[in-house]
Amino acid sequence: MNKIKKILIANRGEIAIRVMRTCRELDIETVAIYSEADRTSLHVRYAHEAYYVGKAPSSESYLNIDKIIEIAKRSNADAIHPGYGFLSENAKFARRCAEEGIIFIGPSPEVIVQMGDKIQARESMMAAGIPVVPGTEGEIKSEDEALEIIREIGLPVMIKASAGGGGKGMRLVKNEADIISSVRAARSEAKAAFGDDAVYIEKYITSPHHIEFQILGDQHGNVVHLFERECSVQRRHQKMIEETPSPLMTPELRETMGKAAVEAAQAVNYVGAGTIEFLVDNNLNYYFLEMNTRLQVEHPITERVTGIDLVKQQIFVAEGKELEFRQDELKQRGHAIECRVYAEDPDNNFMPSAGKVYKISNPLGLGVRTDGYVYEGYEIPIYYDPMISKLIVWGKTRDEAIARMRRALYEYKITGVKTSIKMLERVMNNENFISGNYDTHFIEKNQEQLMTKGSSVDPEDMVIIAAFIDYLDKISIPSTNNKEFVCAQSRWKKTPYINHF
Amino acid sequence: MPVEIKIGDRVAWVNLLKQEGNMLAIEVDGKKYEVDLMHTADGTFSIIENGHSYNIELVPKDGPKKYTAYTLYETFEVEVIDAEARYLQNRNAGGAGAAESKISSPMPGKVVKVLVTEGDPVQAGQTIVIISAMKMESEYKAPKDGIVKKVYVKNEETVDGNQVLIELE
Repeated sequence: MNKIKKILIANRGEIAIRVMRTCRELDIETVAIYSEADRTSLHVRYAHEAYYVGKAPSSESYLNIDKIIEIAKRSNADAIHPGYGFLSENAKFARRCAEEGIIFIGPSPEVIVQMGDKIQARESMMAAGIPVVPGTEGEIKSEDEALEIIREIGLPVMIKASAGGGGKGMRLVKNEADIISSVRAARSEAKAAFGDDAVYIEKYITSPHHIEFQILGDQHGNVVHLFERECSVQRRHQKMIEETPSPLMTPELRETMGKAAVEAAQAVNYVGAGTIEFLVDNNLNYYFLEMNTRLQVEHPITERVTGIDLVKQQIFVAEGKELEFRQDELKQRGHAIECRVYAEDPDNNFMPSAGKVYKISNPLGLGVRTDGYVYEGYEIPIYYDPMISKLIVWGKTRDEAIARMRRALYEYKITGVKTSIKMLERVMNNENFISGNYDTHFIEKNQEQLMTKGSSVDPEDMVIIAAFIDYLDKISIPSTNNKEFVCAQSRWKKTPYINHF
Repeated sequence: MPVEIKIGDRVAWVNLLKQEGNMLAIEVDGKKYEVDLMHTADGTFSIIENGHSYNIELVPKDGPKKYTAYTLYETFEVEVIDAEARYLQNRNAGGAGAAESKISSPMPGKVVKVLVTEGDPVQAGQTIVIISAMKMESEYKAPKDGIVKKVYVKNEETVDGNQVLIELE
């Protein structure tokens, strides 16, 4: 066994701090790296050591393998935690770490390659007997072949261009009568767009749910799952809200899918924390979508219901320890929800809103956790992800968790930049969300309610009064203490101060 | 000393009638309010009006008279228009800053004509650049006497909001 004493976190923002928190608890020294734009980022201030890694663009900093390895060696870090994003699923980086004798906290480079390639991953899963979205193995040769395959897998189907992207050469087919013409149309569109008319067919999952299973494997062949996360509330294919347990899930399905997730991980000898993503349709059929060979953004909800610190487990596994628990010892207790708070304008097509945070009050109280990194006076850089923080709540029941999330969102105040907080509040008040009746089309289906600003309960007049008093005080004697609450200054007989003209 | 306060599209008249410590009587557009108001100098306001508690945060924008105000559910753009602001508005039709040495455009647009070159002496009120935005042409005038230090734009160039156009010595 190889006790880790110092970890370099090859990441920034909230996840870097998240990892460092666990390191502090384990008495492991932490090394931060920062780009030119991140000198004042909180992860730099939190770490024991911090080193400059390169210019602001990720390609010159957080993706700069040579430089990161150099810093790891210079600082004598025995391990590197890649967080999520950046180099977390980069096999070349994992291999370099191994060559340099640094522990990469994650799976082997071979597994990263195998699961990173969609076709290879699909084949590995089929070989392991895990259901994948039904469809053709490769290109279809003729329209007759298309007809035959579609009869086999059943309508509706999606015809997709092999070279595809951006929705071009894609056709949704709902009726048998449209099959031939749709194949032709998809082909000619693909030919025009990509110069290649190869198309393939995949079953179209109507109202799909995005449900994933957290798995954890050690170096001794033990693999467990830590239950599901429901991640169907998405916008632009980016997750916005996650919860566990999933309102769609039944105990039987959980058992079956959990078993499938463990088998999937075992099929590739998976080591560390990973996530198997599935699509689940309304009839509770599930299909393997992909595997993420890293820690997920939404891992805290799993930690909250299982009581297990996933980063701690990642470190233990990397040290070669055996898992401390078996599958039957793991329980889901209560309900956890995570809301991702982005610096963006929900009323303006989710446009990112970089800028300086003027004030921030974090929600507190029973059952509330925030994983964030911005502070008052911090300027959010324009180079990286607009996520400011994650707000995670726990409740005994789903209803209690939703009510608590509403309360926590009420407490959460960030000024100076626009955030998605109000939009998240509207989701927590949405009937369909409350009843657990939602799929990946949730945002578009509920657009009207989600985009409507609630009728204002705050009279403008109070804002006018506040601005008025601030103005009057500013033009008289400036206060020396910015943070202390004071009365409005008495200004009787002080009129000379404002008689500028 | 009543002032006008612009909030969104509304312009309200506001006047302080009476003050005893944190207890204020204030009139907004003819409506009288008795409020208990406490605030910090950096813009956190706690107002209690008729038993209701309001938490308001003012974030200053450029200058002490413009704010973004945050209430529980809303964000407001607020501007105090006092005698000074009105005077400046009248003097600088087009919106150049007070005794500022930099002339900038408040919104994106296109340069129609730059009327000065670097080194030119200018007098306060002299038109120095014409910008067209949203089909309207605005003349930007020199806010003070001086010499043109730098011209950042040229004819036909598109400019962003708040971009500096011309700087005076």
